[in-house]
Formats: sequence, C-alpha cells, structure tokens
Amino acid sequence: MARQKLLQINVPGISFAIGCIILFEIAARAGWLTSYVPPPSVIFAALFQGLIDGEISSQIGATLQAYFIGLGLATCLAVLLGILMGTYRPVFDAFKMIVEFMRPVPSVAMIPLAILFLGLGAQMRVAVITYAAFWPLLISTLYGVRGIDPLALDVARNFGIQGAEALWRVTLPSALTGIMTGFRVSATIALVVTVTTELVAGNSGIGFYISQMEQANRLPPMYAAIILTGILGFLLNAIFFQLDRRIVFWTPAAQDKPA
Amino acid sequence: MSMTTRAIAARRQALDTTRTIPDGGRTLQGTILSVSTVVLALALWELVARQMHSVYVPSVTQIAVTFYHEWFSPTFKEQAVPSLWRMACGYLIAGFCGVTLGVIIGYFRFMFRLLDPVLQYLRATPPTAIIPVGILLLGIGDLMKILVIAFGAFWPILINSADGARLVPRERLDTARIFGLTQMETLRRVVIPSALPQIAAGLRTGLAIAFILIVVSEMIGSTNGLGYYILQAQRTFAIPEMYGGVVLLAILGFLLNSLFVFGESKVLGWHYGQTARTR
Repeated sequence: MARQKLLQINVPGISFAIGCIILFEIAARAGWLTSYVPPPSVIFAALFQGLIDGEISSQIGATLQAYFIGLGLATCLAVLLGILMGTYRPVFDAFKMIVEFMRPVPSVAMIPLAILFLGLGAQMRVAVITYAAFWPLLISTLYGVRGIDPLALDVARNFGIQGAEALWRVTLPSALTGIMTGFRVSATIALVVTVTTELVAGNSGIGFYISQMEQANRLPPMYAAIILTGILGFLLNAIFFQLDRRIVFWTPAAQDKPA
Repeated sequence: MSMTTRAIAARRQALDTTRTIPDGGRTLQGTILSVSTVVLALALWELVARQMHSVYVPSVTQIAVTFYHEWFSPTFKEQAVPSLWRMACGYLIAGFCGVTLGVIIGYFRFMFRLLDPVLQYLRATPPTAIIPVGILLLGIGDLMKILVIAFGAFWPILINSADGARLVPRERLDTARIFGLTQMETLRRVVIPSALPQIAAGLRTGLAIAFILIVVSEMIGSTNGLGYYILQAQRTFAIPEMYGGVVLLAILGFLLNSLFVFGESKVLGWHYGQTARTR
C-alpha cells in the first residue's frame, strides 16, 4: 500500500516545478529580471520568517475564519433553497427569475454595498463571501435534486415516507453528489473572494497584508503572502477533495481525479 | 456509455455551474409567478425605502432615474467602455493561449504529467492576489489590467482544454489510427472536436473570472472604469449612483453570459443533440 502510494508520486512533474524555481533563482540573481522580482530563496526566507514570528501567520486565522463562516452560511442557505426549489414547482417558479438576475452579478461588485451597510470589518467580508459561494451551490443542488431517480421517491411513498421526511431521507442523500460538487466549486470561489475583499477593503487577513506590504514597498513579504494564498488554496482543495470522496463514497465518480 | 463514464460526465456537468439553471419546461402559470415575485420584491423595496428615508437605501424609482441619467450619457463611454475594452483584450489573449496550449498539453500525456503540479498550484492561487504585482511591474495603466485579466482567465481555460483533450474516448483515437490519420490530422479532426464541450466550459469559467478581475483591478488601481466608479460612488456617498453601477454590472454580466450561451448552443448544438440521444 505504502509502496503503491510512493509509485503514484509524479516525479517528473515535481522535478520540473523545482527546476522552474531554480531557473527563476538564477535569473533573479543574475539580474535578468527587474528589481521588483526578488529571487525565490529570499521570498521563501521571508515566508518562513513571517510564519515563525507571527507577522504572516497571524493573518491566516482572520482569513480562514471569514472563509469558513461565509462558506458554511452559504452552504446551509443554498442547500435549503435548492432542495425546496428542486422539489416544489411553485417555489422554483417564484425564485427562478430572481436567481437568474442575481447570479451574474460579479460578487466583487457587492463589496461597496457591503461596506456601506457593514463597515470594513469581518462581517462585511463574510457577507460578500456568502453571496459569492451561494450561487454555484444553489445551482448544483438544483441539478442534484432534479437528477433524483423518480423511482426512489415512489418507493419512499409506498413506505409512507412523505413531506419533510422524504426530503430528509430521500432527496437530500440523493442530491448529495451534486451538492458536494457545488461545494467544491464554491470553496474555490470563496477563497478568491476572501482574499479579494481583504485586498480591496479589509482591515485584516492575508489579502490586507499583501496590499499593506505593497504600499510599504516590502516586496519579499508581499510575494511570500501571495505564495501563501496559493498554498492555502491548494491545501483546502486537497482537503475538500478527500472530504468529497469520503462523504459521497458510493459514486463511481468519487474515484475521479481532482477536477 | 459505461456506468463510470456516465457518472463522471454527470459530475462534470454538475461542476459546470455557470450554465443556465435546470428548467423543467416552462408553463404560463410559472412565468406569471416568476414575474410577479420580481415585481413584488421591487414594490416591497420601494415601500420600505420610502418609509425608512435612509440615505443608504434609495428607492427603486430613484435608482432607476439615476441609472438613466448616468448611463444614457457620456458617462457610459467614459466608464463602461474602457472596462469592456480591457476585458475583451485580456479575455481574448487568455482564450487564445489557453485553448492552444491546453489542447497540446492534454494531447501529449508526458507534458500533462510534467506540468501538472505547477498548473495545480497556479490554479489554486486566487488570481486577484497578483494584482499588486501587476501594479508594481506595470503601473496602473490599461496594460496591467489586460495582463492581469489574461493571467487570471488563462488557467481555467487551459486546464479545462487540457482535460478535454486528455479524456478523448479511446475508441475515437483508435478509429483515427485505423484510418491512418497523421498526428496533426488527429489533433485537428478528432481531439479538438471531442474536447470542445470541455473547452467551452473552461471559456465560460474564464469569462466569469475575467469579469471579477476587471472590477477588482479597477477598484484597486485605476482612474476610470466600472470598478473605480462604484467604489468611488460609495466613498463619496453618491449612493444612488453606486446602486446604479451595480445594476449596470449585473446587466452586463447577464448579457455577456447569455451571449456566450447563445454562441455555445450554435457551435455545440451537434454535441448536445448527440448526448441527449445516448441518454
């Protein structure tokens, strides 16, 4: 088993990545690039330093907190509305047009509106993140509910399972595959929006730190924080991929590569 | 289609959440209900706004009037046209490079394996985080915004194109070989048509990201454009103007997406017809 895992490691891919970093290092040291691009070793040193002395690591907490609250809120609201819209035709008709109009609004356009009502604090960020993460989850929940085998609902009815109980015991589990896919899309979008709101109008978090370092002209920590957002995105993606496989383990698609 | 490929296809479809919402056939009753909820919501807003007399919540009519005055005037040319122009440039660069490189990377397996870790990482990086780097290297001009948009929209397009080209059904490639197609011919006549639905999905995601990036890059570093306009309106407490700007962004987003879906149905009609038949 361990041997199999070892064999799965993408050796050429990782070597290529390391090769790129080394090339970058040489180019930066040799002065082929502008002075605005420090060599990777300096950036990684700044990242390490910032993580140890707490300058960068203290910002991770603020970012993750807003991220998880926003994503969690969006999940609850979207799944609830999605299941209701998917099950009851009148609910679907009633909300359809509003959804169609609200969905294409780029979430970042809501930032000024959110600042107006909620100020510059974490609440504002949570609101924007929730808004952004809501739509993909809603749509994929709808697809999930629409894709239910009608037979499953008929069988449930034969056994006297109806109404709220049918929603809980048949609709929700069947729609779970769709919901989980939407969740992963939303999780990616939520991180982008978290960093963006911090960048545009935050008072804490990694995005805020990036913009501060840019204004202070402290480039290595700025690049370090940008690299960190990528690492964070990568880790969150990997975690949610595993979670997805564990939760909807029965689908053959759970064996699919990370999308 | 085997059980597994069908499940994967279904999952891909669910992943593609920028599509239209599933509509189980329209009815007159349903349409009336949809329209009346919208009307009701707007009427409620109007009523509440008039009762509240709050600066923060202008009434619907006030927003509509401001919208008309602002956007049916030279302001549209001064603020909206530059945004759309930058977005079009950045998006076209991203689309061209992303599809070309993506198909090549996906077709040659060893390249995909070689680049996979780098691509995974770059895709995971929030594209807006590179705006400060863009400002640093290129200033706050048009070039910065165009390149930032191109960079951000490039990754989803590249990765989707590569996936599409990589997952061409084995039997199609075998058939191409039996008919003695050269590699270039196979790429042009088999791989690219097979990958088109996936490429379209990538292009649609890229469009959404380009739209976000233009707004954000104008909010952070710009002297005109829609992002600049709405943030400035909020800061100077020109509240109806701010709402008007958000409404314009919504309309533009809606139009762009509809235009894309329309074009896609023209180009890919054959594909959806085919999958519908096998289902």
